[in-house]
Amino acid sequence: MQAAPASALSALADPPARMVDGAAMDYLLIEAVNALRISSAVASARAKKIECDMVEAGLVPPPPPAKQQNPRDSASSTLGKISGPADEDEGVRSRLEAIGMHVGGNFAERLCRDRPLFSDSLDVIKFVCKDLWISCWDKQVDNLRTNHRGVYVLQDNAFKPISRISSWEGRQEALKRAKLYVALPAGIIRGALSRIGFQGTVVPEITTLPQCTFQIKLPKNT
Amino acid sequence: MATTSKQYKAIGEDLWKSRTDKINSELFALTYGALVVQLIQDYEDYAEVNKQLEKMGYNIGTRLIEDFLARSSLGRCSDFREVGEVAAKVGFKSFLNITPTVTHSGAPPPSSRSTSAAQQSGVPGSSFILTLDENPLAEFVELPDEALEGGLWFSNVLCGVLRGALEMVQMQVQVEFLSDVLRGDESTEIRVTLLKYLEEEVPVGDD
Repeated sequence: MQAAPASALSALADPPARMVDGAAMDYLLIEAVNALRISSAVASARAKKIECDMVEAGLVPPPPPAKQQNPRDSASSTLGKISGPADEDEGVRSRLEAIGMHVGGNFAERLCRDRPLFSDSLDVIKFVCKDLWISCWDKQVDNLRTNHRGVYVLQDNAFKPISRISSWEGRQEALKRAKLYVALPAGIIRGALSRIGFQGTVVPEITTLPQCTFQIKLPKNT
Repeated sequence: MATTSKQYKAIGEDLWKSRTDKINSELFALTYGALVVQLIQDYEDYAEVNKQLEKMGYNIGTRLIEDFLARSSLGRCSDFREVGEVAAKVGFKSFLNITPTVTHSGAPPPSSRSTSAAQQSGVPGSSFILTLDENPLAEFVELPDEALEGGLWFSNVLCGVLRGALEMVQMQVQVEFLSDVLRGDESTEIRVTLLKYLEEEVPVGDD
C-alpha cells in the first residue's frame, strides 16, 4: 500500500484545530461572571421563595436562626438572612467551577485521544501540567511540587486568565476579583482529572498577581 | 472609491492572521455551551435565557467594537450596506474566524455601484441578513426537545454583540435570529435591521 498524499488524508482524518480569537474568549468570560452573578441570585431567590412557601404551608419547620451569624448581627431576622457578597460569590464560584468541570472533562477526552494509558497519578499530573496547560493557556506549568502522598502543587508564575486583571480600586481589590476568576480554570483541571478517573480536589491560591498555584489532592489509593 | 467585497475579505484575513492570541475553538464552544446550560438551569425559562444571552452579548459588543476599531483602523462606514460587509467579512473573521455571507435588502443593482453611495441604505428600515455556514459556538451541541419548544436561540449572544457594537458606533439596530440549524432549520441566519442613527450626545455637564 502506497503512502497516499499523506498530508491530504491525514488532514481529513485529523483536521487542524479550528481557532478563535483569544480576545473573544476573554470577553465571554468577563461577561459570563456578571451573567452568572445575576442568574445565581435569581436561582437562590427562587429557592428561598419555595422554602418560604413550604414553611408557610407548614410542610417544613422554619429554619432555626443561624447561630453562625456574625455576633454583631444578633438582631437580624429569624429566617437567617445571611445573604451578602460572600454568599453571592459562592454561587458564582460554584457555577464557574461546574462550567470548568464540563469543559475540562470534555477537552481532556479530546486531548487524550491518541495517547496511551496513563501509568500512574504522577503521569496524569504531568499530562495536566504540560498538555492541558498548553492547550488551554499556551504555556506549561512553571513548577510542580509533590509530597508523594497524593498532594501536588502546581505553580504558574504568569497564569494567563489572571494576567490582565487590574482594578481601579487597587491591587487588593484586583486580587480579590482574581480569586473568583480562577474558579473556572480550577474546574477545568478538576474536570480533566475526573474524566481521566481521578476524583480529586483542586484548590487555587493567589498571593500575588499574576502568579497562581493549584493544590491538587488525589485520593490515597491511586 | 468604495472598498470592494474582496478587499474586505483580504482585510479580514490579514487581521486574523496577525492575531497572536488564538485559542482552540472547541474550548470556546464548550465554555459557551456549559454557560448556556447553567443559565437554563438558573432561569428555567427559555425566553428569559434568550434575553440574558442577548444582554451578555450587548455588554461584550460594547467592548469588542473598541478592540475591533483599534485593530482594523477602518474608517466610518459610508452606508448600512457597508456595515454589513464589514461586520461579516472583517468583524466575524477577526474574532471567530468565520465569514458569514451577507444578503442586503433593498440593495441597489450592482451596475450602479458608482452612484450607490448617495442613494443607498442609510435609510432606517434597511437590513442585512448574515448567513452562518458554520457556528463555532454550536460545536458539539444538540438541543433537547424542551429547548426547541421553549424557543431557545442558542447563539443569541451574537445578536447582542452586534447590537452593542453597532450602538457604540451610533447605530441603533434590531438584531434577531431568523433560523438556526440547531433547531432543525436549513441554515443559521441573523437579521440586522437599522432602526435609526443615534446622535452623538455630550454627557450632561461635560462642557
